[in-house]
Amino acid sequence: MTDPLLKIENLRIELKLRSGPIPVIDDLSLELNAGETLSFVGESGCGKSMTALAIMGLLPEKVGSIGGGRILFQGNDMARMNPAELRAIRGNEISMIFQEPMTSLNPVYTVGEQIAEVLRRHKGMGQADAWKRATELMDAVRIPNAKARVGDYPHQMSGGQRQRVMIAIALACAPKILIADEPTTALDVTVQAQIFDLLRDLGRDTGTATILITHDMGAVAEMADRMVVMYAGRKAEEGPVEPVISHPRHPYTKGLISCVPHLLAELTEERPDLTEVPGIVPSLGSFGADACLFASRCYMADAQCRNARPPEVAFGPQTSACWKADIV
Amino acid sequence: MTATLLNVENLSVRFPVKRRWGQSTWLYAVDDVSFEVKRGETLSIVGESGSGKTTAALGVARLVPNSAGHVVLGGEDFLKLEGEDLRRARAKIQMIFQDPYSSLNPRLRAEAIVREPMDSIGTAPVEDRPARVAELFEQVGLRPEQMKLFPHQFSGGQRQRIGIARALSTNPELIICDEAVSALDVAVQAQILNLLRRLQRDLGLTYLFISHDLGVVQHMSDHIAVMYMGKIVEYADRLSLFNDPKHPYTKALLSAVPSVDRARKVERMLIPGDPPDPLNPPKGCRFASRCPLVEDACRAAQPPLDPVGNDHRVACIKAS
Ligand SMILES: Nc1ncnc2c1ncn2[C@@H]1O[C@H](COP(=O)(O)OP(=O)(O)OP(=O)(O)O)[C@@H](O)[C@H]1O
Ligand SMILES: [Mg+2]
Repeated sequence: MTDPLLKIENLRIELKLRSGPIPVIDDLSLELNAGETLSFVGESGCGKSMTALAIMGLLPEKVGSIGGGRILFQGNDMARMNPAELRAIRGNEISMIFQEPMTSLNPVYTVGEQIAEVLRRHKGMGQADAWKRATELMDAVRIPNAKARVGDYPHQMSGGQRQRVMIAIALACAPKILIADEPTTALDVTVQAQIFDLLRDLGRDTGTATILITHDMGAVAEMADRMVVMYAGRKAEEGPVEPVISHPRHPYTKGLISCVPHLLAELTEERPDLTEVPGIVPSLGSFGADACLFASRCYMADAQCRNARPPEVAFGPQTSACWKADIV
Repeated sequence: MTATLLNVENLSVRFPVKRRWGQSTWLYAVDDVSFEVKRGETLSIVGESGSGKTTAALGVARLVPNSAGHVVLGGEDFLKLEGEDLRRARAKIQMIFQDPYSSLNPRLRAEAIVREPMDSIGTAPVEDRPARVAELFEQVGLRPEQMKLFPHQFSGGQRQRIGIARALSTNPELIICDEAVSALDVAVQAQILNLLRRLQRDLGLTYLFISHDLGVVQHMSDHIAVMYMGKIVEYADRLSLFNDPKHPYTKALLSAVPSVDRARKVERMLIPGDPPDPLNPPKGCRFASRCPLVEDACRAAQPPLDPVGNDHRVACIKAS
């Protein structure tokens, strides 16, 4: 076995509140291997994006700081790197695409200039080479007539095309890890399908590992090899996508899958009510408690769940942090 | 047979758009669209961004200028009403919007928000309104003590419940839900979808439902209209649309949806490119420029929305 590309060990990210530090990421461990696609799923406020920002070395000082644990990228601990070391990795070996491409592209520069700029900064390319490579990258992300479109400004492109430009920027330096945070949420499903195909092909061709953050279980099923389900800053469940979706071992995972109406192979007249996961994600005040933080919304919860944090239990390659994992 | 509540005939909505050199032109966001909705049922409108879903809904609710056609609700043409008749009819159509954050007045208490349409349209007698507000809070699953709170003191899902209570306050017959659950997390979305269906059963409501999430549409609808560039390209009952789509655009749309159902291995039908410029729509079928089945005849004339079965209509000359 080769070492994983990325190994997160017991990561703790703290938010400093007046009442004291709150763990918004609490004892999170996971691994990402070269070439694989790992999905983070969970409701908003569960720490998916926070984890991604930590991997990017982009935790805003005011929002949170690493309070413990290690983020090992190719064996080096990013949690202990200085800003210059992080800058050398960010956008180069690890890059990220966000949900809203319009806010991450600069409206006053052409898309070609924005791609070329990354190449000049990280690869030291000259103006002409960078421009040529920018055109090739736009072609690679399947923007029709790339030669003519490199001179376009972001507002001259459709939402799907802008997201492709973001992908081109993210892939400009052939990163080892691409983090995609809800990359298709603002796009039509037909465009989403094109972007997903593109990400899959690029992953296959370049060996880039992808972290896909999404709330869409269908997207996870189609795109990812493995998944991590997060709840209130903790890992609820982890494992290969197929067994986790067909037999979740955590009631939260089960709830996330069954509360969504899916498209099925053959639709029937039958339409029972959706399974409800009552309530909402707990407020930050209760993060860090020695308890299962899902207990207040769980149909199985008992005194043990409310009074002790459940350890991770393994079922083959699958793990679940639930006291009742064996009977879920 | 269920009776038709809403009959939309040849509805068009156009927007004035400024062009270069001070010229202006019209953008036909909804172009000669007809459909009906049966009482107590849900008709969903689907289609890509900019296809005209919201505009069609606003046209039905008479909330945009420059509409033409007929919106016949319970026998009268809503677009032709005026004065007191219009005010009375307005009570029958209510809307629920996508954004539970911006669609509620932040300075009003929840009870005032829910009561407001009753006051402005003058449905219930003044002395009955407080009791009606309390009843609505209960119907949507909010607690009585929450009536005094302001919007920012509620979660997203609770705000959407306030929006629903407000929409119900005038005893409407038709409720238009425009992306009403799109901003919510999946668990909360399920709570709201179940609430909407329960209210429909209990109160006999009719919904015009707009969503870009085809799984949600599958769950909520009795009939579905698929729009492309201001036109309805397919209209069908739920089972026909999802199990036997006929229009190439509908097929592409459905095949693009990722699913957890491993048996649902549809062959992905990719449609290349972007839709044409809406200010300059093609003369023939509007989907022709992206359609894998296109032939010369498609570009020559607009295909009519013709029946291909019971309750199933398609605007495509290649569909049958
Ligand atoms: N107030 C307006 N003035 C000018 N054009 C408009 C206006 N509102 C909408 N449009 C245009 O009308 C067309 C239909 O827009 P509409 O908002 O109805 O689409 P939609 O199907 O609801 O899209 P989405 O899924 O993004 O909500 C688009 O081309 C849009 O740009
Ligand atoms: Mg809309």
